[in-house]
Amino acid sequence: MKNKKTIAGLLLALLLIITACNNEAGTEEEEKDQSTSEDKSLTMLYSFASKTIDPHQDWMGVRAGIAETLVKIEENLEIQPWLAESWEQKDETTWVFTLRDDVTFHDGSTMDGEAVKASFERAIEVNEALDSALKIDKMEADGQQITFKTTEEYPAFLSELVHTNASIIKTDAENIGEKPIATGAFQVESFSSEEAIKLKKYPRYWDGEANLDHVTIKFNSDGNVRALALQSGEADIAYHLPPESLKPIESHNDLRVESVASLRVHFFLYNSAKPELQDVKVRQALDLLVNRPVAVEEIMNGHATAASGPFNPDFKFASEKEPAAYDPAKAEMLLREAGYEKNADGKLEKDGKQLELTLATYEGRPELPMMAQYFQSEAANLGIKVNVVTVENIDSYLWEQQQEWDLVTYSNLTAPRGDGGYFLNVSYLPDGSLNPGQINIPEVNNLTKQLNKEADLEKRIDLQKRAVEIVQEEVSQSFILHPHIIVGVNQRVKNWKPGSEEYYLITNEMDVE
Amino acid sequence: MKQFLLIIGSRMLQLIIMVLVLSFITFLLMKITPGDPIRTMLNVEDMAATKADEERLMKEYKFDRPILEQYGEWVIGVLQLDLGESLISKRPVLDMILEKLPATLSLSIGGLVVLFIIAVPMGVLGAVYEGRWPDYLSRWTALTGASIPSFWLGIMLIYVFSVQLNLLPVMGKATLAHFILPSVTLGVAMAPLYIRLLRERLIATLQSSYIEAAKARGLGKKRILFSHALRGSLIPLVTMFGLSIGGLLGGVTVIEILFSWPGMGELIVNAVMSRDYPVIQGYILIIGFLVVVSNLVVDIMYVIINPQLYNGKESM
Repeated sequence: MKNKKTIAGLLLALLLIITACNNEAGTEEEEKDQSTSEDKSLTMLYSFASKTIDPHQDWMGVRAGIAETLVKIEENLEIQPWLAESWEQKDETTWVFTLRDDVTFHDGSTMDGEAVKASFERAIEVNEALDSALKIDKMEADGQQITFKTTEEYPAFLSELVHTNASIIKTDAENIGEKPIATGAFQVESFSSEEAIKLKKYPRYWDGEANLDHVTIKFNSDGNVRALALQSGEADIAYHLPPESLKPIESHNDLRVESVASLRVHFFLYNSAKPELQDVKVRQALDLLVNRPVAVEEIMNGHATAASGPFNPDFKFASEKEPAAYDPAKAEMLLREAGYEKNADGKLEKDGKQLELTLATYEGRPELPMMAQYFQSEAANLGIKVNVVTVENIDSYLWEQQQEWDLVTYSNLTAPRGDGGYFLNVSYLPDGSLNPGQINIPEVNNLTKQLNKEADLEKRIDLQKRAVEIVQEEVSQSFILHPHIIVGVNQRVKNWKPGSEEYYLITNEMDVE
Repeated sequence: MKQFLLIIGSRMLQLIIMVLVLSFITFLLMKITPGDPIRTMLNVEDMAATKADEERLMKEYKFDRPILEQYGEWVIGVLQLDLGESLISKRPVLDMILEKLPATLSLSIGGLVVLFIIAVPMGVLGAVYEGRWPDYLSRWTALTGASIPSFWLGIMLIYVFSVQLNLLPVMGKATLAHFILPSVTLGVAMAPLYIRLLRERLIATLQSSYIEAAKARGLGKKRILFSHALRGSLIPLVTMFGLSIGGLLGGVTVIEILFSWPGMGELIVNAVMSRDYPVIQGYILIIGFLVVVSNLVVDIMYVIINPQLYNGKESM
């Protein structure tokens, strides 16, 4: 008898604790509801946590609508004025920007040439990568004008200014890492590292006061949890949802899914140092084995755009060619032309040597190993043995074991600032930091070098298009698809959709019902 | 008192040796695994850099020097209480860790509370009703708890309590309610071992001669169970706890990331991914220190829980 009482007592205690906790949760919910009825607020969930929101070191400064850059890329992915009203390239190394005269920082002070100069001085001091990307030699401020002198002839300077770290902030503010003072539609209320940013609107914003009073950005690196938080109503916008989590969101009346092609491309990169792959016919044959519709529909659940070249098709300098069709028969023909014959085991061989390839992949992007596997079975059908190796740190593997791999599933941002010069430089020039496959196509190198000196926009577009054409003919890579940025959105959110560039997440125009 | 000082003295020595060995091993492992922070520092994913830039930074940060020399420099810094700066965010490592430590500790305590709430009743049920249905209930609870991966349990709890019932918040650390789901996830993951251990010990204790004596003296069952048997059975649990603190702090990481808990989880995972050596080393140092200190506390607890160890003195 007594024992039963003990058990009952323990269970009762458990129950009490649980109900006590539930009450707590209930009151919190109610409080939250009250606050939303007074002013307009919104919560966004983002996947990459920020350690700092110093706009010169972290992308969140611009993403959260706190800071702004001199120029931005618009919806059509063209470079547009932002804090700068106009600009002029005086000579090969001199750029003069005229700043808007109606812009104030969050502390009320005016944004002028001196402030912009101070901001750039700090940015290149604290950010090594930005320093080498901007190549600024000297700056001069005069009223609302600022003149940049670059260390060399540098036509890509303008598009490099789109970089979020090149944003304009008040440099004499204390604690820039947590409370930067800048010119955006929102100012920081509080920031806790890797957890959340709380924003409130800046009433004197130059481009029109924001519709929302408060915005909270929270970080969570688990895609499924982000999807659940959207469903529970804890978030209004949830970025980077895994395709498999979308069904309940799509079928939910209050929620919708937005999907936009990113500036990224997934591709196979061929190792040019390998004798088998030096034959363009072999590369062309492998390219014909890539089944892009299957990759888009089956592997990406439709949230991708098939690729024919490195650049997002919305760019003016992107290839207008249709993505290559899947054609194993033609692939077989090309391989035969290249001297490969089927041996007794049904495997392709040339001069007594079987065609056997090592395909490296990594799990950082879960769709890449799937593409590798699919390709492996396509190649096997034709008599090519593909060994898939999954490595932990793909970049060090590619660079340090260049003799090991023949092709790799790779993924890069190709024109992050609205200009393809970046990708052509890093991926095709022999000393580029993203060229582990040792691609070295003299014509592309020449075009890239011309591009690096060409200031005229139309000519730049033409040069980039020509470079892409040669890359397509040479098949130094097989471009597979542009993955989409998948965002779950509550229907109460108005005037907002995700952009391909993923730079301007919080705007003054966005609103809630 | 002298005994205490002796224990503390020897533990401090142990701490220094252990942290040195531990930090050297991690340093070595980090250096021999592929990858370095240079590419993250140069932001190659989105900014133009050349191989020459990489080599320049490699020299600037002395990553091309012999491992022993690099380790030596770190140790000299530590001796001056300087854990260095993060290579990525350029903030002092000590600040970064101390900022996150309280959240991790508070979640660990939350997990321990849940662990206690689950393990003690379940262990007692199993022992008192040995071979009957409450024992099976206790066994199945332990088995289920042990076989569920905590990230899955966390997602399921979010699904039920946040999405379906809309009772509890999904993420963050604003109120007491935010503690519940992560604490439960952590507690459930740790509880099975303790349930089984407590049951076994309690069964053994209930058969021991001093319990027989207590029964003979005519003490009530409840009194025997809670003031004599349970207390005697807690010692191995405390030992186990001391040993599993390292595991606890490691397990917290997964749960923190799941629930956006602002502890050290995200910090250390990012540091490992980007090979931010000073942060990883600092983390190892602080965690090593915590494990040794908490084991010291466990040793002191022995004396309090088990009067037999208390030099023949009767009660406290």
